[in-house]
Amino acid sequence: MAGSDDDTKLIEQSLTGDPEAYAALVNQHQKMIRAVAFRMTGSLDDAEELAQDAFLSAYRQLGSFGGGSKFSTWLCKIAINLSLDWRRRESRRSDIHSKWAEETVFENNPGDRFPDNLSRRVQDALNRLPAKQRAAIVLTIYENQSHAEAAKTLRCAEATISWRVFAARQKLKRLLKGLPHE
Amino acid sequence: MNRPELESILKKSRLPEIPEESLAIFPRRIVAGIKRNDPPVRTARNYSPHLAWAFGLAACVVIAFAIGHWRVRAGKEKIPTNDTLASVKLVRETLAMFPNQVRAIVEDEHGMNLVLSDNNDVPTSPPIYIRICDGKQCSSLVTFSGQEIQIAGQNITVLSDASGGIILEGSKFVWSSTSRIYASSNLKIEAKTL
Repeated sequence: MAGSDDDTKLIEQSLTGDPEAYAALVNQHQKMIRAVAFRMTGSLDDAEELAQDAFLSAYRQLGSFGGGSKFSTWLCKIAINLSLDWRRRESRRSDIHSKWAEETVFENNPGDRFPDNLSRRVQDALNRLPAKQRAAIVLTIYENQSHAEAAKTLRCAEATISWRVFAARQKLKRLLKGLPHE
Repeated sequence: MNRPELESILKKSRLPEIPEESLAIFPRRIVAGIKRNDPPVRTARNYSPHLAWAFGLAACVVIAFAIGHWRVRAGKEKIPTNDTLASVKLVRETLAMFPNQVRAIVEDEHGMNLVLSDNNDVPTSPPIYIRICDGKQCSSLVTFSGQEIQIAGQNITVLSDASGGIILEGSKFVWSSTSRIYASSNLKIEAKTL
């Protein structure tokens, strides 16, 4: 099974029905999953809810984790796909449906205190990307996945990821124009 | 702003801090949630022989259908399947990002390029996919009727008629998808409305 020895042991214990072992796994990976969920939703509250769904879903599927990848990568895959479903639901709810793409813009939650203006501007720009392009950026830039890995995570062709990253970069360049980069 | 500069900005951005109490409570909430559910089960690997035969048969039917379908398509379709621009979905995603601004999306030996209008003045019309090969070098683009685009070393005006026919007018050739007018022996051209 890929992943750290600690993860492997905790997964085995979780599979025998030890919830404390799973709590330890959650504790170990919650920051990463909550970060991915935040990048996708733009809100700490929504990210927490999504991360909770991701960990519960992962627990139900734990028996099928074959170890072909790291446990963190497997968790990330569940979280990012749940966040795409969440975006779809939210888009439907707000009833702003575009024929071509999911264009609903999610504003940053004013209650979320960003450490600086650059961080707020970047998240605001990410919120303005179509969800699938945002997912491609989150995986390749923030999770350091290759285009091939991101394609597996999002269950699409590598060329599709490359194209989404390309299109997202064009838009981000425009949205983040004027920000200091050094 | 170039690519490394953009990546540097994206990576510099930090997240709002998650309160310590929330981090401490979170695993307990998950445990409470899983106690209400059944424990996870290892994936069972016992298959009934009847089920295996049924799946096998279904797989054969699907494969046979796929091969047949592929042969029919292969006869008609000359555009390579790995051509990114031939994907309607990807093109639509890009057009949605820059409404009435995209004059063309060009893919050549230098990679992918967006040709944008300074003003939002590109009229809405069905996108046209064009592939031009000059010897071994091929370029693809998606553009609209009325646009003048530089590709394969020359300016080409793209026009479409009401019946869906596509006409390309270059400085050294004229090409039509319907009547196969041709004035250049080196160029291979394919075009279709997406």
